[in-house]
Formats: sequence, C-alpha cells, structure tokens
Amino acid sequence: MTKEVSLEVDLGPLHLKNPIMPASGTFDIRCTLLNQKELNRLGAILPKSIAFQEREGNPGPRICETDCGLLNAVGVPSKGVEYFIKEELPLLKKANNTIIVSLMGNSIPDFCNLAGYLNENKEISALEINLSCPNLNNGILFGVNQDKLYELIFNIKKNTSKPIIAKLSPNVSDIREMALTAKNAGAQIITVANTLMGMAIDVDKQVFRLGNTMGGLSGPAIRPIVVRMIWEIAQSVDIPIIGVGGVYCAENAIEMLLAGASAVQIGSANFFNPHVMLEVIEGIEKYLIKKKYNSIQDIIGLMKN
Amino acid sequence: MKIENINIPLMISGNLIENINLNDNYYRMRIKAPQIARKAKPGQFVMLSMWKNKDPFLKRPFSFYGIESDSGTFDILYKEIGKGTQIMAKSKAGDLVELIGPLGNGFKIPENTNNIAVVARGIGIAALMPLILESKKRGIAIYAFLSAQTGNLLLCSNEINSISEKVFYTTDDGSKGAKGMVTNFLQNVLKEEVIDVVYVCGSKRLTKHIRNLQRKYNFLAFVSLEEHMACGIGACKGCVHKTNDGYKRVCKEGPIFPVEEVIFDD
Repeated sequence: MTKEVSLEVDLGPLHLKNPIMPASGTFDIRCTLLNQKELNRLGAILPKSIAFQEREGNPGPRICETDCGLLNAVGVPSKGVEYFIKEELPLLKKANNTIIVSLMGNSIPDFCNLAGYLNENKEISALEINLSCPNLNNGILFGVNQDKLYELIFNIKKNTSKPIIAKLSPNVSDIREMALTAKNAGAQIITVANTLMGMAIDVDKQVFRLGNTMGGLSGPAIRPIVVRMIWEIAQSVDIPIIGVGGVYCAENAIEMLLAGASAVQIGSANFFNPHVMLEVIEGIEKYLIKKKYNSIQDIIGLMKN
Repeated sequence: MKIENINIPLMISGNLIENINLNDNYYRMRIKAPQIARKAKPGQFVMLSMWKNKDPFLKRPFSFYGIESDSGTFDILYKEIGKGTQIMAKSKAGDLVELIGPLGNGFKIPENTNNIAVVARGIGIAALMPLILESKKRGIAIYAFLSAQTGNLLLCSNEINSISEKVFYTTDDGSKGAKGMVTNFLQNVLKEEVIDVVYVCGSKRLTKHIRNLQRKYNFLAFVSLEEHMACGIGACKGCVHKTNDGYKRVCKEGPIFPVEEVIFDD
C-alpha cells in the first residue's frame, strides 16, 4: 500500500512530522529500547523535566499501581541544567530534530533563569513549562492559580525567544480559564494535562503507599477526563493543544485528536510497552488510510458541539 | 557513541513451558525465550506480563531463578499474592508471556573467591540460586543460611543441601531448624573461618545484620534489593533506594548493591 497520507501537524510555531511524542518523565534517552532510527520517527522527543540545580527527588516509595493507572511521587530528580546540556542534549540531538525541553522551577526567577540559560541552544525547539508537578512544594501553585500562572508565563517569555508550551494542571475547577490565562500571558501552545492529584493507603499496614503521601495519577483511568478537557478548551480558546493522559494505543490518540488536540504525548504506557509510541504512529496512519483522509489535519477537532 | 548498545534489553514474547505449584501459594514458572535466556546473568531480572486489557497496568519484575542458555529457557519463582500473580498462577503451558530483559546489573563474583555465604529469607532465595549454581561451577565453597516463617517455606532446600558445604536453617515457628536469627549461625562460622563474600536477599533486617557483621569481620557483601517498579529499564526513576551516594535506581544501578552503600531508614 502506498502511503499517501500526511501525519504532519502544526502547533503554532512548531511543525512536527507526526503528532506523537513522549510525556515528560516517562522517557530517558540513556535507557530507551528504541534505536536511533526509531527515535527519529517520533514527532518530537521530550526528556524529563530539568531543574537549574541538581535535585534528588522524593523518598520512596515513589510509585504505586492503581486500578487502570499509576500514582507517582517521583519529585523531579534532575542532574541540573549544565549536566543536561553537556551529557544529554548531544544524545537527544542525534535522536530527533525536534527537541522539546520541560522546565521545572520552584519560583518565577528559577524558571526565568533556566529559560534564559537554554535560549542560545539552537537544538531546542520549544520549552514546556511544568506548571503543575504535584510533587513539589510550589509546583501545583502555578498550575491552579490564574494570577501566578499569568505572572510566570509572562516573565518566562521575557527571557526566551523559544515557543512556550504551558503544561496545565487538571486539578482545577475550570480548565478553560487556565488555558485562556496561559494564552493571554504569551504561551503559544498548551499541554492538557498533567497528572491528577491522588492518594493510596495500605490498609493492612495503615501507611500511605507513597513516600510523599500524595502523588499524581496517570494511566487509562484519567483519559476520559483529559479528553473532556481537550474538547472544552478546543471549543472556547484558540490555542494549539497537546493532549496527554492514559493513551496506550492509536485509538486513544485519535480520540484526543478528534476532541481537538493537534499532538499527543504518551506517558505511563511507555513503562509496560517501550514500543508503544511507534505502534501509535502506525495505527494513526492506518486509521487515516482506512477512513480515506489525505491528512491528519482533517480529523483534528472534528468533534463539535 | 555513549549509548550502551550491547546491553540494551530485549522486548519479546516468550512461551510458558511449565507452571508448577511448589507448595501453598508458591510457584515455579519455566519460560522459553532464547534471546533473553542466552544473555541472562545471575542476579538479573525480567519484567513480565501475561495480562490483557491493561489490568493490571504494569509489568512485574522477577529475578532469574534458573537460567538454561542451552535450552533457551529460564525459571522464575513467585508467590501468588496480588492481581498479577493470580493470573500467573492460573496460566498454563503454551501461554504467551510478554517480557523485557535481561535487566539490572547482576552479581559480581570477585576473582580468587574461595568461599561464599548466601543468606536468604523466604522467596529471596530465588535471586541467589543462579549465583549458587555459578559458584559451584567455579569450585567455590557455599555456605547457605536460610530463613523463613515456617519450614515448608524454606524453598529449594533440597537442592541447596546437595551443593553446599553447610546449610543452616531457622524458622520463625521453629518447625524446621532453629528459631531466631539465621545470621547468628553466620557469626559462629565467621568466628572460625574467613568468608570471602556474603550475598543476601529477601530481608532488610537480615541485610542490616550482615552490615553489622561486616564491620566486625570485614568481608565483601552484596544485597539484591527489591522495590516496586514501573518500567524496569531506568526511565521512570520510580524504584529508587537510598544509598551513601543519594537515591539509586534498583532496576538500573542495581538490583545488586554493596551492603555498605545501602541506607535503611527504619
């Protein structure tokens, strides 16, 4: 069968050869089962959030499997930005020509320093701002407070010329307001969404199952919530969306595209199937051919009110 | 290039050859997966799933309990305890097994090792078995110190009996061997002779005792650690354990660590 279908997507200033990329924190270039050729097939590559200074992360247990999902309280361990540029970026550069770097900070100056530091690196295509890591003292604050969110994105923009992707927290009452705020502050793209805050208790030992007490829920359990959020935003805010949450097959990714996402990240599914991203790319292509579309653009946001 | 090509683990399907109930809810499973069996080393592990519909969500880690590179098979020992192992317990020869492996660093047996002690609690013996067999092959004398809740949970004791110099048992209920700490027997041996390397698996408490004995008698000691894992390949940073050098991933930097490096909080 000749492949005539285009998987290319545009997200504002970002052009991707296909919509599939890893979700931050679920992929490590230094321990992937994918070879160079396979890594190059991804729409983009996105390593775990980096911090300016080295940080250890949370005490264990850091993960806890739940029904159809996974709670994590890893807490963004990072070897710092200098290590990232020296050791990790060269490997990423060889693997894929679209590199999105996820940034983590404890304060506005922290984020701004990091964004400024990375601005001269031509290999980096865009910055994703981790507004909502539930495992950090102040992390969730930016994601759930409109004023803080605006202030953060607005200030980061002053320190970088790279496209800004705001990764929103789903732990809010109206995700549309957060999307609009991110846009008004200067974000060109949004990622919907980070993990949902959760908790699990061992009733036998009567202890919390996570070392950090609370953690972020990911996996198939949260997907319908994310699909709804993508759709809600797509109906009301004019900004390109990257969908993420519980995708483990092409059908799941297509659901997000139909709801209005222009790209899709794959997270915890990488843990049980390190080849899942490639399978999803192939599956989307087959779907488009079967449904006789010429381009993936034809299905993005197809579902209207 | 700095990528570790040679040691990239494989993601493949294997075939279940047999699944035997040893006693109570303990099972031994033999899996045919030649590409993994030929690369596997004592102390390493595989991530395994035989469930559909993402329920449970993750694969499970299992140490190699037996490695047969000639027949392309390996064995794992497991206890039926939760959703995943319940499905495993019901599985039959011919069933498909999804695997990622071999994973982890594996045991080191230093050159010129004359004798070793293996210290295991319950199913912890599984991770030590290939090491015991490899040591036997190299002509190294083996002292085994096995502990369990009850006598019938002293797994593989016949096999270990037949290849070890000496075997010491303790059970919590005294149903086989003595009551009390199996490391007391190790201490008695250490008073009499030099043990080159001690390997331990299956109990934090035993590992802490080994560390105390190590301070006194100065031997090499390694522990095989167990943690909940999501990916098994180092990507998720979920399975860390505290060490003198910060948090380390049990799946990647481990599961085998020098005993003196590991920090136990409680």
